[in-house]
Amino acid sequence: MLLLLAGCLILATGLGSSFISPSRVAAALFGHGSRTDDIIIWTLRLPRVALATLAGMALGLSGAILQRALRNPMAAPSILGITDGAALGVVTFLWLFSDEANVLTVSVHWQPLAAILGACVFALLVGMLTLADRSRRDPLRLILYGIALAALAKACVTLMMIVGPVYRASQALQWITGSVSAAHWMDVGVVAAGLALSLPVLILMRLPMRQIVLDQQTAVTTGLAVDRSRIGLLVLSVLLTALAISQVGAIGFVGLIAPHAARLFLGQFRPGYLLATALIGGILVLAADTLARTIASPLELPAGAVTALIGAPLFLSLILRRHRRNG
Amino acid sequence: MKRSLLLLLLTLLVAVIASLHLGVHVYGPATVWSTFASGGDSMHDIIIRTLRLPRTLNAVLTGAALSLSGLFMQAVTRNPLAEPGLLGVNAGAAFAVAGGLALFGALSITSIGVLAIAGALAAAALVFGLSGALGPETGPTGILLVGVTVAAMLAALTQLILLLDETALETLLFWLSGGFADRPLPLLWIGGGALLIAVAGAAFLAPSIDALRLDDHSASGIGVNVVRTRLVALTLAAVLSAGAVAMSGPVTFIGLIAPHIARRLTAKRPGFAALAVLTMLTGAIIAVFADILARLIVAPGEAPIGAVLAFVGVPFLIHLLRAKRLREVGV
Repeated sequence: MLLLLAGCLILATGLGSSFISPSRVAAALFGHGSRTDDIIIWTLRLPRVALATLAGMALGLSGAILQRALRNPMAAPSILGITDGAALGVVTFLWLFSDEANVLTVSVHWQPLAAILGACVFALLVGMLTLADRSRRDPLRLILYGIALAALAKACVTLMMIVGPVYRASQALQWITGSVSAAHWMDVGVVAAGLALSLPVLILMRLPMRQIVLDQQTAVTTGLAVDRSRIGLLVLSVLLTALAISQVGAIGFVGLIAPHAARLFLGQFRPGYLLATALIGGILVLAADTLARTIASPLELPAGAVTALIGAPLFLSLILRRHRRNG
Repeated sequence: MKRSLLLLLLTLLVAVIASLHLGVHVYGPATVWSTFASGGDSMHDIIIRTLRLPRTLNAVLTGAALSLSGLFMQAVTRNPLAEPGLLGVNAGAAFAVAGGLALFGALSITSIGVLAIAGALAAAALVFGLSGALGPETGPTGILLVGVTVAAMLAALTQLILLLDETALETLLFWLSGGFADRPLPLLWIGGGALLIAVAGAAFLAPSIDALRLDDHSASGIGVNVVRTRLVALTLAAVLSAGAVAMSGPVTFIGLIAPHIARRLTAKRPGFAALAVLTMLTGAIIAVFADILARLIVAPGEAPIGAVLAFVGVPFLIHLLRAKRLREVGV
């Protein structure tokens, strides 16, 4: 799978308005490329490709953690309204902190924080609604509240975009449809740092993540503080999602697809499961982004639409399968 | 029943009159009156007659069509969450129209209508077929999940078509955002026609739908063809929401809210025919008020009607989901 990812990386870097063959890409990567190749690859294409991959990894991981913590195979950041909450956070940020001339009054580096805040607020709301529900044991409840709140967040975002000046609306729209086009090495560094920070946490949580799959009673008897580790996992998942989409926009469904694909390839109790999920998430967003920018070039499609077209049918089949098993 | 009917008619009248007066320019009653009484060609006459009046009419027709569509769906599926917008029927109509425009270039008004109806029927068949595969004990929420997912998929496809075809983008982006303003007038005939057909159908089907309040078995016991009733009613619901999409783009939540409010307006449980009348009036009122709000809240800009309705519709949906058992909402 690592090999596959490396192959995708080289191919994706080569594709674009001018095609660069894989061998030239490899040469440039190792520092023996021609000068133009170097510039195109290192300053234009590579940041974008790297950002797509890392963000995809974060989204995939986040989905896997969420599904595990909630014991719900249909949970995913985009379905539970977390993604839209983050979008609302970013748009609110752009609205609050820009002056008459559309210049941000604070540094744009605060934007990820706004996304995280928005994501946390909506995650909390969905969680509270579900807990207050009498039939909260039904795993569909959570999803339905997520869908409802996501619709609310979307409406707020639309209104805010209309209230603001045109320039800001287009800036926000580009961000919301999910696009990696404005990637810098700086953004890549932020996501990479976030992933690196989550790594020790994941290693610590390795055991709880396995125990939590058991039913409540059994998990408690294995000596697990179920609620505490569940909350910890949820927080981690929300943070990872917010971090990823604050950089690449609201690309949906990755957190849903990647864990299921990993389960198909590997089975969910194998040690490499999370790693595989992350890799698949990375490949997925990279492929979606590459498709989105090449299929109708010079136009750029939103990568989020591509992932939605893969994700929606999968979600449908999950619903169908769940009911067949229960019925 | 008589009292709530009167109340609704009065409210609708007030809403329509308010809709003619309010907007970026607020006109006094004297101006509006003289526009209709004596004609005239000044700027405000033209604004009132060619902009405000058509959009108000459009809102009334769309609201009535969508709410009746929602009522049909809720009644025959015994599902209080059924609604053309949430179940992807609107998205299907929109996708068909967008695809047609991208394939054939400019479209005549009639072909827009035909495409919208075909798309709505196909989407309805897909959603109800898939949730039928879930089996009868799915409960009301399974179909909602299927519908929302299908709607998301169709919306993503529509978005792709629009991005690939820039000319379609120009004409459609505005239409797809949903709203009652500046729509071509002939489309109102299509929507109005769909509404007329469906109202006739509602009158004809009403006794059978009333019988469906029993369980399927007893309903067929008293001589009602359950499957056919359900099929015809869902077809009418799809035609209605296609008409609404042709008039004003995909508009969500009216079909969900209006039937529930109408049901609560009367103390007794009225029959389907009476309920349909109350529902259509309620839907029209909601649409007109939402349209006025859309003009005012972000003036001088206009808010998309879908965003305004989401602010009312989402809390309502959450409330319905929280009802002790969904069945107690009473369909």
